[in-house]
Amino acid sequence: MREAIAAAMERAHREIPQYALQHSIDLEPALQWLEAHNASRSILERMLPVTLHVRAVARALAKYPDLGGQYLDGRFEPAKGIHIGLAVSLRGGGLLNPTIRDADQGSLPELWSRIRGLTERTRKGGLRSSEMSDGALTITSLGDRGVDVVHGIIFPPQVALVGFGTVAQRPWVVNDQVAVRRVVEASLAADHRVTNGHLGARFLHRVGRCLQDPQTL
Amino acid sequence: MSTRQTILTIIEDVAPDVETDDVADDADLRDELDIDSMDFLKVLVGIQEQLGVSVPEVDYGKVRTLAGLVSYVDERSTLGEGQSP
Repeated sequence: MREAIAAAMERAHREIPQYALQHSIDLEPALQWLEAHNASRSILERMLPVTLHVRAVARALAKYPDLGGQYLDGRFEPAKGIHIGLAVSLRGGGLLNPTIRDADQGSLPELWSRIRGLTERTRKGGLRSSEMSDGALTITSLGDRGVDVVHGIIFPPQVALVGFGTVAQRPWVVNDQVAVRRVVEASLAADHRVTNGHLGARFLHRVGRCLQDPQTL
Repeated sequence: MSTRQTILTIIEDVAPDVETDDVADDADLRDELDIDSMDFLKVLVGIQEQLGVSVPEVDYGKVRTLAGLVSYVDERSTLGEGQSP
């Protein structure tokens, strides 16, 4: 598996002119909403923040579809749906990016159940072929590992990768006052052959906006 | 089987490559065993199923270490004495 990862990353580094953007997102509204939702739920029904990240990225991708698809043989082929790849680390050092198909569809609890099932099948074996292809872009989340920000590398032939760092309490200005808020650093690595930083910035900003209204996700 | 031993067995199921004999009581389990949030939920499900104790989200901070987890379960176990069913 190490060789496969090395080959894909080498190709990305060699072929893709990546640009990188970073955006600080106030997650306080989303996390408070999540905690209220989870309080009365059983353990497996308690959604992790990744559910909201995936849905927010799915919404932003629906608005800016040029960030989702594949660049092959010198041309961009847009994705046929809002299929979100998830970078899932395996014990022992492996890494796979299985796909949540139509991540913009269904309720958040349904999306969480699908994310949980997909992660389980990735780690224990049993991924379906439909879950191993067609990712429009990939999300990598290192929020459990204590780093502030992810500067990721695109999984070729995809053209964008969204990263989320660790949620941390930060000083944040709210109504001209400094408040303590839980904040996450979101990042975007995108293929300059397909999009420009201007569109990437609008996309990343949209992700942040979506996370301010978790009840609408 | 003691609560501690049952918890270590549950952890071994989630992280089979880990030598649980080497786990320090006061080490942060997620860091020490390289367990992420998703796998940590599986540990909590195992504890609920095998030891009958459900840890609410608000108490996750109390169960970050093996010692914290053992005492949390022992204090709430309906069977008392820290014995598993």
